[in-house]
Amino acid sequence: MSLAAVLAESVTRPVFQDIGWLGKTTFYVVSTLAILVFAWGWWRRAAKYRRGRPAGRAGVLRAGLFGRPFAGVRRREDRSSVAAVAANSSIIRRDRGTGIAHLLIFWGFLTAFMATVILTVDYDIVRHLSRLITGHEASFFHGPFFLVYTFVVDTMGVALLAGLVYMGVRRGLRRPGQLDYTRAEQPEGGYSRGRLVAGDWVFLGLLLGILVTAYLLTGLRVLSQDLPWFTVFSPFGRLVADGLAGLGMTPAAAASVHTVVWWVHAALALGFVAYIPFSKAMHILIDGVNLLAHDRSATRRLPAPAPQKAGYSEIGDFTWKELLDLDACTKCGRCHDVCPARTAGAPLSPRDLILDLRQWVDTSAGGITLLDRETRTDATGPLSPNGHSGIAGRVVSARTLWSCTTCMHCVEVCPVGIEHVPTIVQLRRRLVDEGTMDPTLQTALQNLATQGNSFGKSARMRARWTRELETPIKDARKEPVKYLWFVGDYASFDDRLKVNSQTLARILAQAGVDFGILYEDEWNAGNDVRRVGEEGLYEMLAEHNIEVMRNAQFEEIFTTDPHSLNTLRNEYPERGAAYKVWHYTELLAHLIESGAIPVRPLGYKVTYHDPCYLARYNGVVEAPRRILAALGCELVEMGRNRADTFCCGAGGGRIWMDDSFLTERPSENRIREAVQLDVDNFIVSCPKDVTMYGDAVKTTGHEDRLRVRDITLLVSEAMVGPVDPPGALVRATA
Amino acid sequence: MRIVVLMKAVPDLVEEIELTPEGNDIDREFLKFVLNEWDDQALEEALLVKEASGGEVVAVGLAGDADIDQSLYTAVAKGADSAVKVIGEATQTHERAALLAAYLRENPADLVLTGVQAPDDLDGQLAPMLAAHLGLPHVSVVVAVAVGEGAVVVRQEFAGGRSQEVSVKTPAVIGVQAARQTPRYAPISRIRQVMQSGALPEVAVAAEASGSGLRVRRMYEPEKTSHAHMLTGSADEVAEKIIELIRARGLVKG
Repeated sequence: MSLAAVLAESVTRPVFQDIGWLGKTTFYVVSTLAILVFAWGWWRRAAKYRRGRPAGRAGVLRAGLFGRPFAGVRRREDRSSVAAVAANSSIIRRDRGTGIAHLLIFWGFLTAFMATVILTVDYDIVRHLSRLITGHEASFFHGPFFLVYTFVVDTMGVALLAGLVYMGVRRGLRRPGQLDYTRAEQPEGGYSRGRLVAGDWVFLGLLLGILVTAYLLTGLRVLSQDLPWFTVFSPFGRLVADGLAGLGMTPAAAASVHTVVWWVHAALALGFVAYIPFSKAMHILIDGVNLLAHDRSATRRLPAPAPQKAGYSEIGDFTWKELLDLDACTKCGRCHDVCPARTAGAPLSPRDLILDLRQWVDTSAGGITLLDRETRTDATGPLSPNGHSGIAGRVVSARTLWSCTTCMHCVEVCPVGIEHVPTIVQLRRRLVDEGTMDPTLQTALQNLATQGNSFGKSARMRARWTRELETPIKDARKEPVKYLWFVGDYASFDDRLKVNSQTLARILAQAGVDFGILYEDEWNAGNDVRRVGEEGLYEMLAEHNIEVMRNAQFEEIFTTDPHSLNTLRNEYPERGAAYKVWHYTELLAHLIESGAIPVRPLGYKVTYHDPCYLARYNGVVEAPRRILAALGCELVEMGRNRADTFCCGAGGGRIWMDDSFLTERPSENRIREAVQLDVDNFIVSCPKDVTMYGDAVKTTGHEDRLRVRDITLLVSEAMVGPVDPPGALVRATA
Repeated sequence: MRIVVLMKAVPDLVEEIELTPEGNDIDREFLKFVLNEWDDQALEEALLVKEASGGEVVAVGLAGDADIDQSLYTAVAKGADSAVKVIGEATQTHERAALLAAYLRENPADLVLTGVQAPDDLDGQLAPMLAAHLGLPHVSVVVAVAVGEGAVVVRQEFAGGRSQEVSVKTPAVIGVQAARQTPRYAPISRIRQVMQSGALPEVAVAAEASGSGLRVRRMYEPEKTSHAHMLTGSADEVAEKIIELIRARGLVKG
């Protein structure tokens, strides 16, 4: 084939084939209308986001756009980047099949969109401008450019098709549980989510319809032109043409059918454009922004309440990011799937929470969604009227909000950067202000306010567990130490945990570690108090601890409690107390590896439970595993491990609330997972876990098969040298 | 309607309470004091009455009570309209009643609510003594208060779960056993706001001399009750020991 043939202006395709003057005018009018509707829809949404408070995310957005270019591409990080959005990393990470299908749709759709833009630039801009300037209509839409264009568009269309078919099959035939929209909380008056389902299918169907008519159009056009040579650059369009020819269609017939299909295609495409801001399709524009504005650390370090407000009660209390979060949800159900509250039969599903808030905010702000909404016969939940009686306890029920363990799994798995936990805490703050809470929680908070611990024991009893130690622990308030041991409430007051704390003290003394404690001046660190929503009490506890720490002499902190670790490490610094904070497993791993703690192999077959606040919140996953390896234990991992660990059910203040209404406690669910592994020891590294799982092995009847032990006890057992085994200690104190 | 709630700070029973060297009082020096739990019930009932029928709730404590400020601020945070401290100190109920009666004579109330008892007033003397001082009607062990025309209707509890509804002419003194609902929670931030918004006004009163004719001779520590005895061994062995124990104590025959 000659170069001249390739360069010929005839190597192109007609833009309005057989549409005529009237048709073209109609098309432009309808296009303009569609774009106007699109713009109006977005203007309304933008107006809604502008009602939100500042989110302090400008820096995050800037960093996402211009900062580390590949943040979040390979592994989950606090923040994302354009590259991670483009690579669909957050979607692929936890569901490869669906993620890749989405990637195909993402780029297929983007290609189709760019193709339309290029065509518009050539036909509607270059052509007119050149005529105005030179008097001659110019176009670049032919020759080699056209061939590349047509090839890319044609093949990417197939990628789009493959992705859409995969999604359709997944949704329609495979029906994974996470796409089941049954609510976690069943409203009394009943509800229907049929329109949500319809919205999904309309979205998928529209895309598929646009794509199929596009290929049909190409095929018909190619056939009507009598299959010119260069149409092989549209291999799949050409395939359709060959197929139609094979079915006996003549070029003339193709030309007349083409006109009909052209209008169908145009109607679908323009309809879709207008439909975007009023449907699930809005995620196309929202979710990239939401991911770039996402900051996982905002869950670790909770935002303060809105100024002059105790928690959220109206739309204007939300930040724009939180309002964007609501619209970003695509109902993928990953949060619903992993949520320990939902799994346990509690009325909370993070997905439902977001959808309810979205619908209520949208309706209250005068927004419109055509299909994607729940219907009810009464004005309850998301259909509650926009009034002054608030959101917490009305749009989202108090029971639902109190069900959250703040385990952060929802935030971790959300592919579009929604931050459920801070929103839940903001709503809880309102409930606390109104005094709507479990009586047991109220008692715990009152105990914390008077005695600095949730047990209701005298603050002076905090260090009582140290009395039986041979070597007294240094008082960090009175003499300088290297490490301040922040013991935490459970490790200090719970009788079952006394042995663990004493053992750790002995190990550290044996290893020559210079450490001290704050005795009765240590108060609860406040992590869970803050997550309950009692901000004032949190401030009081934190201020007290910070004051005491300021007057103590130490270099670094280690803590037995992952919850305390979280607030000490991430939230105390903004109150002026920035210290290096370690978890005791990090310290033990270091001591064992440096030879300060000589150990012999134990040879146990164990599994290890990652505490949410250690692994998911703070990324400490290797230290305990290094210890287990050093102790010669065979570690058999549970399916849900590290950042994907399953909550024990105690976090976020849940440990102070009634859990008798649950169908299966999260801790029991976890023990049932562990017994499948055929291990002898269930190793934990959080004081609350010792109590939670100690109970759960009993209630599930696995007490004789699985021993729940703190990793400290294993270290003590493996320690070579004159250290009292815990058994001897119990006898000595009995 | 002006409702006065009398509040008293008592030692927090979770603390280890020790006696003075003389052995005729508890050592108050390092103790932590909290609101008498029955006074908390009285406050809650007062707030419920206010919510149902309007009125003004005033929380009143003695300036001499240790840590009373915290309780009074909390009362305001929960919804009381104001709180005052009556200048004076009282270790015995007689003294307390005289001081509070003097306050109430100078600042009359339509309804006086207080806890039916306190850890150091288990015989519930405060309300009847006050009523006697003021010459007002009195009902104690009350579990609900409702406001009527020139009177209040209260529900008084008896043993065995029985209760009666009593109509009392106001002004009256009521000893509250329990409020109709669990005392509400006062968020710390709101208590702090109240604390920042101003000091508690102190009121001087002219109290009559009040001798009770009583003098504490000696105080006793709680007697140590026997500890639980843990049975160890296999299930069968433990069962055997339980049977032995039951037989040895003559709980069953044979």
